[in-house]
Order: sequence, then structure tokens, then C-alpha cells
Amino acid sequence: MMRKVTAVLVIEDDNRIRLSLVLALEDEGYTVVGVGTAEEGLLLQGRNAADVAIVDLMLPGIDGFECIRQLRERDDDVPIVVVSARDDKADIVAALEAGADDYVVKPVAIEELTARLRALQRRLRTSAPTDDVPALVFGDLEVRPEAGEVRFRGSQVAVTRTEFRLLCELAEHAGRVLSRAQLLSRVWGYDVGDERLVDVHVGRLRNKIEDDSGAPRHLVTVRGLGYKLQR
Amino acid sequence: MLSACLALASYQLIRTTLLDERERTAVRAAYFNATIVHSGISGDQPDVLEVLRSLDTGSARQPVLRLDGRWYARGADSAVTDAIPAPLRKIVEGGRPAVQRIGSASGPAVVVGVPLTGGTAFYQVDSLAELDGTVRTVGAVLLAVALMTTAAGGGVGWYATRRVLRPLGEVTRAARDIAGGDLTARLDAASDPDLSSLTRSFNGMVDELSGRLERDRRFAADVAHELRSPLQTLAASASVLTRRRDTLDERSAAAASLVSVEIQRFQVLVNDLLELARSDQPAQREPVAVAELARHVCRSRRLPEDLVILVDGTPQRWHVDRKRFRQMLGNLLDNAVQHGGGPVAVRLGAEGDRCYLEVDDEGPGVPPADRDTVFGRFVRGRAATARGDSAGTGLGLALVAQHAAAHQGGAVILDRPGGGARFRVDLLGCAP
Repeated sequence: MMRKVTAVLVIEDDNRIRLSLVLALEDEGYTVVGVGTAEEGLLLQGRNAADVAIVDLMLPGIDGFECIRQLRERDDDVPIVVVSARDDKADIVAALEAGADDYVVKPVAIEELTARLRALQRRLRTSAPTDDVPALVFGDLEVRPEAGEVRFRGSQVAVTRTEFRLLCELAEHAGRVLSRAQLLSRVWGYDVGDERLVDVHVGRLRNKIEDDSGAPRHLVTVRGLGYKLQR
Repeated sequence: MLSACLALASYQLIRTTLLDERERTAVRAAYFNATIVHSGISGDQPDVLEVLRSLDTGSARQPVLRLDGRWYARGADSAVTDAIPAPLRKIVEGGRPAVQRIGSASGPAVVVGVPLTGGTAFYQVDSLAELDGTVRTVGAVLLAVALMTTAAGGGVGWYATRRVLRPLGEVTRAARDIAGGDLTARLDAASDPDLSSLTRSFNGMVDELSGRLERDRRFAADVAHELRSPLQTLAASASVLTRRRDTLDERSAAAASLVSVEIQRFQVLVNDLLELARSDQPAQREPVAVAELARHVCRSRRLPEDLVILVDGTPQRWHVDRKRFRQMLGNLLDNAVQHGGGPVAVRLGAEGDRCYLEVDDEGPGVPPADRDTVFGRFVRGRAATARGDSAGTGLGLALVAQHAAAHQGGAVILDRPGGGARFRVDLLGCAP
């Protein structure tokens, strides 16, 4: 699946910002398609045009939140980075809950943006799935890092790539607490970043792998320290 | 108070009235007795003592006669005659009747002197002891009543004041909550119908205030958007220019690098300004593993992690606003890099509920006169101004002070033992 040249879809209504992002990202070696509306973006992504998407929140017509939600509803696990001028906590959480993988506030330096894209593009392992490697089992929850699979009560669960990497990170350190900073660094490649990213992704994962996401059994919060995965 | 005054006035009135009445009775009786004595001793060989004994006086009244320079009394007790004051005797011997109240050994008394013929004088000593006892009893009763009414009045007053002031207490609490940043605090309109207008205006004021704050916040967000969007275009375009620096001629390359450096500074400035505009909001405290966070902040600035020292006995986790703590430490480290020759230690310690963060550098230190002003807005270090290439925005330390204040603490500059400056931030309420 890994292409040599990563294709980036930029959904940004401001012509000047879009043009400058296209120029700068092309300079960094990406293939870039820029569109001005969510409708065009969704149409293009319907043909799996991009490996990663950059989405602005304030868009004419369908807004950024709705655009992300529609992409996720199609079972599209394309990594999505929100690049928005809005840095309100409520906006950030809403965008992440809609399904975005990362959120950066404008203005973002191009080196920073490409670092984010690389972190999201990084696959866990590229080797083909084998039956030799046992699944990591947590009671009724099974994680198969090699196969890229998550099973809950025997049936496969659809998770995004970022959710999957977060789950694998926790599964590989079963029973041990990982701090938000450690998770940010290992999953998102952030040295210092917004720890809400972790919290919101944990929340999304819980909706998929817990009977009651309000009272989690597997993915538990250790107050003041971080998260751990247990039976 | 009023009841005590009334009781005192009543006591005085009763006392005066009773004493006056008693004195009048005594005077009337004295004249009557004097007439009897006068007629009794007018004979040749009068039996003075018999005459005195014949008077119907009772035990409280002592008749005394002065006749031919000698005292005649019913008893041998000279206390009665001694009790008659000399000035009174002088008046009576001068031929005029007189009355005087005295305090004798056997209690208060009223002495009435009536001159008879030929230098003879009749005196009558009326003991007021019984009356005095009555007056004392009345006084005691009045005092008790006064005390009781005062206590009752005080109790009623206290209760009434509390009842009346309780809504004010609620207003005070609500105002304090609002000042602390809780804009959802309102007064309960149903609690006291008498105060409904106060409650209405207070709640109206808070609505207006929170509406205004919300508008300010929106304005800040709008400004942010308006500034950030063009900055995004500039940043992306500058990176294209920087990447093609080698293909530009020398002058264009120099200009391109100026543009890209200034855009970076502009970005930091916009972010700092927005942070500062928001920093008066209350801190969002949560338990934070501070040493780990501090090492992260050092790493992200390419500074060695072992700068961070958690002083012995300091709790691992502090109850602080994570984002603000990170910014404070980051800004102090940036300051040390720009003006202090780089940080040499980051110390995290605690004294009771007060936690502190110290960043030491080996620079020239900060002159005492400048130590307060460096925490102001748009203040830059002197050395940086002289060099003219400060990368700082002049807001970094102002943000540190604001964030410290949001934790009920403050920021100060000390001398580092051995030279250099020590920036210290105190944070209160950090015990989880």
C-alpha cells in the first residue's frame, strides 16, 4: 500500500493559503491536490485519491467537522490533520471527536506540518500478516499488531490507523501505565504537544472496545499518570 | 441598651421618690414628737427619759434630746448621738430646724433637728436601713429585668441581623465565585421574595458580564483567525523561498531570510498575545507529573534533560494547569538561553502547599532595579536591545507572571549563589 510518493489532499477555502501550502508541500516531495470545498474533497477521496488529508474547519457549505465525520462514516481510515486558525479547546475536541487524527493551529511551519504528516503516515510494521505471531489477548479483547486487526467479543472492530497504533502501544506494554506524554511521543511523534489528542483518541477507542465507555474495563485511566490496558 | 437605661432611670426615680417620701414622714413625725417632748419637759422636774420613752417611735426611729448641754436618749448607746453631724447641730442650736441624710455605722439614716426653747434641741434619727433594703431589692429586680431584656434583645437582634444579612452573604459568595472566574454562579431567585429585585439585578449584571467576556473571547478568536490566516500563507511561502535560497541571487537570498525570520517572530508574537489575552482565566488544575513534563520541555528545546532536579521530599505530582506550567518553564528556559547564557539548573521543590519552580542561569544576572519591570509587557533585556537581534517578543516573562498569578502565586528574580540569575515561580494550592 505504501506508495513512493505520498499524495496529500488539501481542503482549504482560502485560495492564497491553499496555493502556498500546495507549493510548499510539493517542494517537500509530496503530490498535492488542493480543493476549496469539502464537497470536492469528499468526491476526490471517494476514489481514495490521497494518503493523508489536510482539512480546514471553516469551509463554505459542508464544514470541516462534517467533512471529517463523512470520511470516517465511509470507513475511510485516511489520516486527517486539521489545520485551523481556531484554537478553542471546544473546536479542537470537536474535530478530534469527529475523527481527526491530529490538530495544528495556523500558522504552522512547513517543517512542523511535514513532521506531523510523516508521523501519521508511519505504519506499524510492513511485514505481511503471519499466524506465527500470537495475538495480544485481554479477555474479550484481541489485538493483532501484525495483521492490523482488533477483535472485540470475537468480531472485528473498525479502528483508524491512529487508534490502532495507540492501542498497539498500550497492548505492548500490557498492565503498565503509559503517560500521555509518552503516548504523544510514540504515536504522534510529538516531543511536547497537546495531551487532549491522547484523551480524545482514548475516548474514541473506548467507544469501540468497551461495553460501557463510561466505566472502562480494559483501557483504564490512572489518575495523574496516564493510561494502561488490562484484562 | 434601651432596657438598661429604662431600668436605671426607673431605679433612680423609685429611689428618690421613696427617700423623699420617707424624709417628709420623718420631718412630720419629728415636729409632732418635738411638740410632745416640749410639753413634756416644760414642767419643773421633768423626767426626760420617760418623756422620750413615751414617744411612739418604733425601733427604726431614735429620739434624742439635747438639754442644758447634755444628751438624753432612750438607750445608753452613744452611737445615736455620735451620728448627729456637727454642722446640723450648729444650725439647730442657731434656732433653725434642719434635715440631713447621713450614712451612720448602722446604715443610712435621716436626721431631723428641731430647736425647742432655751437652747434645747430635739433630734430624731430615722434609720433608712429598711428602706435601703427595699430600694436595693427593687434595684436588683430591675437589674435582672434589664439584663434579661438586653440578652433577649441581643438574641432577637442577632437572629434578625443574620436573617437579613444572609442574602448579602450569598451575594458575597456569588460575587467571589464570579471574580474567581465561575461565570455560571447566580443567585437563587426563589430563596427570598423580599430580595427579588436585588437578585434580578445581580443576575442581570452577571449575565451582562459573562456576555461581554464571551464577546471579548470571540473577538480574540476573530482577531486570531484574521492574523493567523495570512500568516499561514506567509509561512508556507517563506519556506518555499528558503528552500530555493541557493538559486536566488545574493541580495534576494538575504531578503528572503529576513522575511522568514521575521515571520517566525510574528508567529510567536501573535501566539503570545493571544495567550496573554486569555491568561486571566482561572487555571485548569489537574495532577501533573512535573519532573517528566519538565524533562519533555527541555528535550523539545534541545536542552539536556538532566537539568531538571526534583528536590528531595517534593511530591511527584502537582495540582497545576499543565499547559500553563509547560509555558512558564518554556518561557523561562527561552529567557535563560537568550539573556542568561543558557540554563544551568531547573529545580522543582515544595514547601507545604506552595510549590516552586526555579530556573538558574550563568548570565550577568538582573540588576535589582530591573527585577520588577522585566515581568512587564514588551520589556526586553538590555543586552538584547543593544544587540538588536532579540528573538523574544517581550511577552514571555509577562506570561510567566500571569500564569503564576492564575495559580495564586508569583514570579521573582533572585541572585543565584555563584553568579547569574535565578528566576523563581511560586505556585499555591499544588498539593493534590
